[in-house]
Amino acid sequence: MRWIAAVFLGLAAPAVAGDVAASAPTKLSVTVYRSPERQSGSFNLNNLGGFALVTETRTVHLPAGESRLRFEGVVGGIVPESAIVTGLPRGVIEKNRDAALLSPSALMQRAIGTEVTLVRTDKKSGKIVRMPAKMRSASDDGVVFETPEGVEALRCDGLPETFSYARVPAGLSSKPTLSVLTRSPTAITATVTLSYIAEGFDWGADYTATINPDGKTLNLGGWITLANGNGESLPQAQTQIVAGRLNRSRVDPDPNILNQPHVAARCWPMGNTGHVNATSDPLPPVRIELVRPYQMALQGYGFAPPPPPPAPMAMRAANAMDIMVTATKKAEQLGDLKLYRIPATTIAARQTKQSRLIDTQAVPFTQVYLVDIDANGGDDTEKASILLRTKNTLANKLGLPLPAGKVAVFEPGARGPAFVGEVKSRDFANDEEIEWRFGDAFNVTAKHVTTDYVAGAPEFAQLAPGLRAVAHKGSTIATVTFTNANGAPVYAELRLRLDADEHIKAADAPMGMKDGRPIFRLTVPANGTAAIHYVVE
Amino acid sequence: MNRAVIRALLAGAGCVAATHVCAEPGTSITIYANNQALVQDTRLIDFTGGRQRIEFKGVSAQIRPETVSLTAPDLNIIEQNFDYDLLSPAKMMEKAVGHTVTLVRTVPGTGVEKREQAEVLATNGGVVLRIGDHVEVLRDDGMPVRVIFDKVPDNLRASPTLSVTVDAKAGQREAALRYLTPGLGWRADYVALFDEGTNKIDVQGWVTLTNNSGTSYDKAETVLVAGNPNIIGQYNQGNDSEGMTDAGTESGTRARLGDYYLYPLPERTTIANQQTKQVSFLDVHGAPAKHGYEFRLGWMQTIEQPVSAASVYQFSNASKGGLGDQLPAGIVRFYLRDKTGAPQFIGEHGIGNTPMGSQLAISTGDAFDVKVKSTVENRERIGGHFDYNWKTAMRYTLTNALPKPVTVTLVQDGLWGDTKIESESQKSTHRSADSAAWEVVVPANGTTDVTATFDSKY
Repeated sequence: MRWIAAVFLGLAAPAVAGDVAASAPTKLSVTVYRSPERQSGSFNLNNLGGFALVTETRTVHLPAGESRLRFEGVVGGIVPESAIVTGLPRGVIEKNRDAALLSPSALMQRAIGTEVTLVRTDKKSGKIVRMPAKMRSASDDGVVFETPEGVEALRCDGLPETFSYARVPAGLSSKPTLSVLTRSPTAITATVTLSYIAEGFDWGADYTATINPDGKTLNLGGWITLANGNGESLPQAQTQIVAGRLNRSRVDPDPNILNQPHVAARCWPMGNTGHVNATSDPLPPVRIELVRPYQMALQGYGFAPPPPPPAPMAMRAANAMDIMVTATKKAEQLGDLKLYRIPATTIAARQTKQSRLIDTQAVPFTQVYLVDIDANGGDDTEKASILLRTKNTLANKLGLPLPAGKVAVFEPGARGPAFVGEVKSRDFANDEEIEWRFGDAFNVTAKHVTTDYVAGAPEFAQLAPGLRAVAHKGSTIATVTFTNANGAPVYAELRLRLDADEHIKAADAPMGMKDGRPIFRLTVPANGTAAIHYVVE
Repeated sequence: MNRAVIRALLAGAGCVAATHVCAEPGTSITIYANNQALVQDTRLIDFTGGRQRIEFKGVSAQIRPETVSLTAPDLNIIEQNFDYDLLSPAKMMEKAVGHTVTLVRTVPGTGVEKREQAEVLATNGGVVLRIGDHVEVLRDDGMPVRVIFDKVPDNLRASPTLSVTVDAKAGQREAALRYLTPGLGWRADYVALFDEGTNKIDVQGWVTLTNNSGTSYDKAETVLVAGNPNIIGQYNQGNDSEGMTDAGTESGTRARLGDYYLYPLPERTTIANQQTKQVSFLDVHGAPAKHGYEFRLGWMQTIEQPVSAASVYQFSNASKGGLGDQLPAGIVRFYLRDKTGAPQFIGEHGIGNTPMGSQLAISTGDAFDVKVKSTVENRERIGGHFDYNWKTAMRYTLTNALPKPVTVTLVQDGLWGDTKIESESQKSTHRSADSAAWEVVVPANGTTDVTATFDSKY
């Protein structure tokens, strides 16, 4: 009998698991990740494609026996299947996420077959009439109910009428609720940790490259800009951001979130003689919206959450960008990613926040006027693009990971630094060459002319008796003339695109190779020209 | 003895494994991964004797009526009906054509109610009524008019309803209703915590089941089936071999159903409508794992800007030196501890249904510090203009910004079978005729170049 008693103890409670709410988080940590889709540039505040790992420490008081432990106030973008709960003495029997939400539609649908109170108000006198009714059907096609007088349809009579309900039906909650079922041999107080992935976050790096008056060095500053597009704030959260691209798996949007019930007070056809084409073109049945259709962030990768309700401008006004200043941050290695720590801070709902990533002075760089053309094209004039080139090394006052984002370039002007262009920047590892192509030149152009074509020796092939084919191997001779309308000489580069089986046979300037392509490096004199002639075979 | 105890003992005695022959009253559900479930609903029914119509309430709102079967001792099925003409105001009015309804008009100003009988003549675009000796259009003047119907027509219902007409011997006994329904599905979710110091991995597996069938199932005995029975007109998920590099050949001890594996939930559970439920099925600590890098080039091509190698974690689900279980299709999420010891997410990847004993290689994302650049250094035609081969000289530049050496598996794809490697800077291996692979060691904060010359038809 003893073992049966033991089993009995273990299972006595299950019928009705006590409902226990975990405390609000006593400690919060949030790690923000960039959208895996975005390799450079900034995030779109209305469509945040990144995500976060949220870790909450909460206190729970569990009675002896089985409890349903509810976690309230989790971030709306939670991916419920990613939730991990640790710290429960006997572990977790099951985790549940209930998405049956309390809404006008759910209230009506759950009332089908039960008694409700019909409430009618006389428009003239304001007199309210209450009458017992039984809900017979409630759907997108309308609402039918029964009273002692007979069967009627809701809001088809032109009278103000509605229902009143005795209570909220069991199982409907105000928000999608995460809960775990657990058992405890005795009443205890435990500290549990809940961590989960949540959509609706993102971050990017925003750099400013300010060219010094010497024209040879620049000052590089950078911000980490992170955003929380969720409706929940994360108070005093230990905050990290992770640089690099992670894989996410595409998951279909959760049908439990999407398939919320929808009830509308539709009626029978309401066409009348005022509608000229009532028979041939019947008006659709009158539809009175009872509910604002429930909307929620789509879960899962590939489906960025829908825009947050407030317009971005309003949002910016309400939550002026939160800025914290510190010195250049040190990156921690996290597997093959980089992790940065931001001092504990409150990340408010629908807020962007900035923290200093880098501040470095006098980074040597080269300004290049680049012309990048097809070696065989011809007879056109192109503007050179302007790029900044440096190498991510300690000697250059850099030598640290530079996470993806955007770079705004400033040049010294008569009234202080002037904005001259911006460019998307990918993830740069230590020691990589950095090229930021930030604008088109006004004063530097290149004219590309094919001057001659020389056919080589013909080759013959006998395809069939009496059918002979002939082919020529040829060479293209071309000239590229750079012009410089600046009052100072400029450094320029010409990069040529070739087909795989072509090569530069001859040129009147020294040719190099860069990134697998021919390159000519030249200086164009002040208010002058410089030309390169080459032969492609 | 307590009824719950008896139930628990019965469940422990093997009722769970053979769920659809388990005759215990209540619900048992077998859920397949492709959004399909077999529900067996066992109820006590009072048979009146002879012909009788039984309506089943609380069945799945998405029931596939053609799959329904009802079984009980001494019972003959006469017919099964599935009525899906749903009750709505428009349907009520339509069915009232030719019948009489009551109109209640409220006189404006006085609020006095005036009742009269009306016959519904038509509902085409608007409702036409005969009241006494004249014909009217309902609410043509926009004034309030209540329409009261005597009753709800018999065959209009709030939700689709299954009814079975039977011929049975009188008496109370159990009957089992069995049907298939979509709206219940599941997949697996894995949490993998990798320890860089020891090259070990902790893996937890959870089954995640989702119920949007429109109905809640109370205290259901639940079994999940890994494997995908064909469903006409439906794409089967998990049939690919994602994540698996070598398929295993071990059987293990898990219960099976034909070619599929069974994951019974340990206890009866209530599966509420619109609920996502997770139950643990796998918890392995300290399985050996390996971290590495892979870079795959689709064709002999130049990549001007360096591209990150994939960060790959390899492990096995063999009984020895592995996770020791079949892995149903799902998503594996990888975590690593940061400097403070807090687990941080480092990427996720889907896996297909993976037999026991398989080797898995799961890419979590890009390596920030390990990159590859490739250059076509030379490409020339060998032979005449009309009968020639291509000779392609490739250079692969691998860079490592980490303070430790790494090994990258560099794969050149797109070799189309007839390609020969004329020369190479280090020995390649060939997984298939279409690709060559080099295991490239890149020193700490260093660069390694690999060169190879291919002789190919294209």
